[in-house]
Amino acid sequence: MNGFSNNPVVRMEKIVKTFYGVPALNNMTLDLYEGEVHCLVGENGAGKSTLMKVLSGAYSPDSGYIEVYGKRYTHMTAELSYKLGINIVYQENLLVPEMSVFENVCIGQEISSKCGFVSFSQEQKKTKDLCEYLGLHLDIKKTVDKLSVAEQQYVKIIKALSTNPKILIMDEPTSMFNVEDAKLVLDMVKRIAKSGVSIIYISHFLKEVIQIADRITVIRDGAPIRTYNNSNQEANIDKIVNDMVGRPVSVFYKREEHEIGEVVFEVKDLVVEHNGRPINFNIRKGEIMGFAGMVGSGRTEIANTIVGARKKYDGKIFLNGKELNINGPSDSIKHRIGYITEDRQRSGLMLEATVVDNLTVVGLQTKIKGFFVNIKKLIPTVSNIIKTLNIKISSPLQLVKNLSGGNQQKVVLGKWLFTECDLYIFDEPTRGIDVNAKSEFYKIISDLAAQGKVIMMISSDMPELISMSDRVIVLRKGRIVKTLERSEISENSIIRYALEVNKDE
Amino acid sequence: MSSEKISSLKSNKNITIFLRDQRVLLGLIIIVIVIITSILNKNFLNPQNVMSLLQQIAVAGILTMSMAMLMLSGGIDLSIGNIMIMSGCVMSVLISGGQTTLASGATANDINAVQGYTSVPTAIIIGMLVATAAGALNGLIVAKSKCIPLIITLGMSSVYYGTALIITGGKFHSFMLAFEGLRVAKIANVIPVMLIVFFAMVIIAFILINRTKFGRRIMAIGGNEEVAFLSGIKVDRYKIITYTISGFYCGIGAIIYAARLNSITAGGGAGYELNALTACVVGGITFAGGTGSIIGAFLGVFFMGLINNVMNILSINSYYQTMISGLIVVIAVILSNLNQLRRR
Repeated sequence: MNGFSNNPVVRMEKIVKTFYGVPALNNMTLDLYEGEVHCLVGENGAGKSTLMKVLSGAYSPDSGYIEVYGKRYTHMTAELSYKLGINIVYQENLLVPEMSVFENVCIGQEISSKCGFVSFSQEQKKTKDLCEYLGLHLDIKKTVDKLSVAEQQYVKIIKALSTNPKILIMDEPTSMFNVEDAKLVLDMVKRIAKSGVSIIYISHFLKEVIQIADRITVIRDGAPIRTYNNSNQEANIDKIVNDMVGRPVSVFYKREEHEIGEVVFEVKDLVVEHNGRPINFNIRKGEIMGFAGMVGSGRTEIANTIVGARKKYDGKIFLNGKELNINGPSDSIKHRIGYITEDRQRSGLMLEATVVDNLTVVGLQTKIKGFFVNIKKLIPTVSNIIKTLNIKISSPLQLVKNLSGGNQQKVVLGKWLFTECDLYIFDEPTRGIDVNAKSEFYKIISDLAAQGKVIMMISSDMPELISMSDRVIVLRKGRIVKTLERSEISENSIIRYALEVNKDE
Repeated sequence: MSSEKISSLKSNKNITIFLRDQRVLLGLIIIVIVIITSILNKNFLNPQNVMSLLQQIAVAGILTMSMAMLMLSGGIDLSIGNIMIMSGCVMSVLISGGQTTLASGATANDINAVQGYTSVPTAIIIGMLVATAAGALNGLIVAKSKCIPLIITLGMSSVYYGTALIITGGKFHSFMLAFEGLRVAKIANVIPVMLIVFFAMVIIAFILINRTKFGRRIMAIGGNEEVAFLSGIKVDRYKIITYTISGFYCGIGAIIYAARLNSITAGGGAGYELNALTACVVGGITFAGGTGSIIGAFLGVFFMGLINNVMNILSINSYYQTMISGLIVVIAVILSNLNQLRRR
């Protein structure tokens, strides 16, 4: 359909980018031709967004180079990429809610009248022209906060187009859309590409990708696996899924097996959002239950609701045969539920405080009795935890902000081990930590299970889910689509249910 | 790298870390100032001057402790100056029965006349209750409304100032020398009781923050409120308690204020909250909360008092004094922020 010229518009060669020793991009290579829609697919954390941030200048790569229109750059800057005509439509909302549509579109490139004042009429005309071009019917004078989520997404696309980009990056533009709205966006993408703009399109929805892509590149663990031609929608979804998941056996952790007991933890008809679907599951004594799903599938919301950090709309929670009445984390802690949160910087640690302070912050409510407490006297009581978890510190009074990611994560876990729980909820337990710390974590989690604890493990790390879980619950759009038994767990089965590629849906 | 090199590097690092601690830095600066001034002026280290310096900072010091506890918990209260004044006004009106003429120069006869009105202990209890309740009210509003404490307490500051104006009718009121005993009392003829009260408040604040569950919990809230919440700390409850304790400290501050000045007016609290804030920041407590210490805040308020005292001794024009103290604050804040800048 598009007669590609021989020279690519963008060529990214052998891009390497590591964060704290963890490789996010590993010899990544990608090219983009004029007027094509090039789709990137891969699991969470495969490196898609990092790659786009390298292209837009938000990150500079450790090595490798970027060629734009034949000119070679070792790294981009935000200014340079803008000058070269690269623009990006982000997943998250970057609009000013109190401003109208046209004001949002023209922020940063306001059109002035002769006297030097902002000319609203010209801004409105420009926005209206763009709407017409895209076939959209938007009230451009409405403020953005009054628009639906889909309409806001359109505004972002208009805003990106208003700069006349040559290269447009779209990161999950349809993730919160229903089918019709998504279709409109897909039509829009095709139309934009036809006008000669080259588009890099990132999506989890493989069906959608097949509809619009000229080429599809599968990324796994920061490297390109294969690029499919799809100018006639001929790419094979099954093959793509296999490429997304096919990992060598060596990346899987081998854990020791142990006895699994009776059901001790039960969630009945739990509703986590207004008009949400009820969620039901149970976990047995000593069992590790994996929770799989794409970002936004509602896994963290379930965990937050169980511990009471989020409002519960309906449903009951049972632990050890007792119904729990939980109105806040102080209650769930009383019922011996521990919650190792996803974002250790935001909700896991007091960064400016010492290791002991952090390790005992939950214990203050449970283990430590009396009114007076001397932190220095608590050091011997936490030294056991520090030893078990092998936390590398110069002193227990060291500030947590000075520790490495892996050691910080161990401190987060340590504070819950200190208080001794029956149910441990892990949310992305090994995100952003190095391989050695990861396997130490796996050992600790399986030891906890062997002691008869109940483990809920939310993870986007496929090898982790597969090697650790006894069963895996797969979520999509806030509901449980499948509970996979031990024998059914595979990368392929998880990704299929998480991505909506099965025909029986 | 040889092991010797590593260990020398390590000790170097320890020294820089030691020096970066604002308390250490401030302590060193204070010592330098004291040495220089005592060379310039022989009377400076005379016990009387030291005692009077400490007495001068007693009221500001107590309010600084109140502000320090709040800031460590991630809060702030800009109404503490006016809470103190309101509480003081309540006490004075109760004691003097609304007499406004005897602001100063009261005689023994006047003191006897006091007995006809509310007894001094009752007045103190009521004044303390008013201050504590005002703190609790601030805490309740801040915790439940989830609004920025800076703005809430700025508004409440006017509420308390207005209340003080209403109570006093905008006039000077005397304490009828009811606190004269406290002003002159000395232990072993050397240490004024007022200072003992001041130090007791510092020590209590220190113990509360460092040696009790309450203190560890509010430090956790200041360090990361989300973590504190997820760790089962009842965040709202502890915020209210902290503000309430702060109010109590303002009440104690009012008593010392009364003893030192023997008269009060509704406008007398202006600037106390900012002085307390300044002392805390100079002493290394950050606006974000969770970092800093009571000792730091104490050194901060001592430093500010010292600077004023030194400038008086060197007889620097008071207009210049105001300007210089302002500059010192700005420099202190920039210095304490250097670590942050370096990290970026």
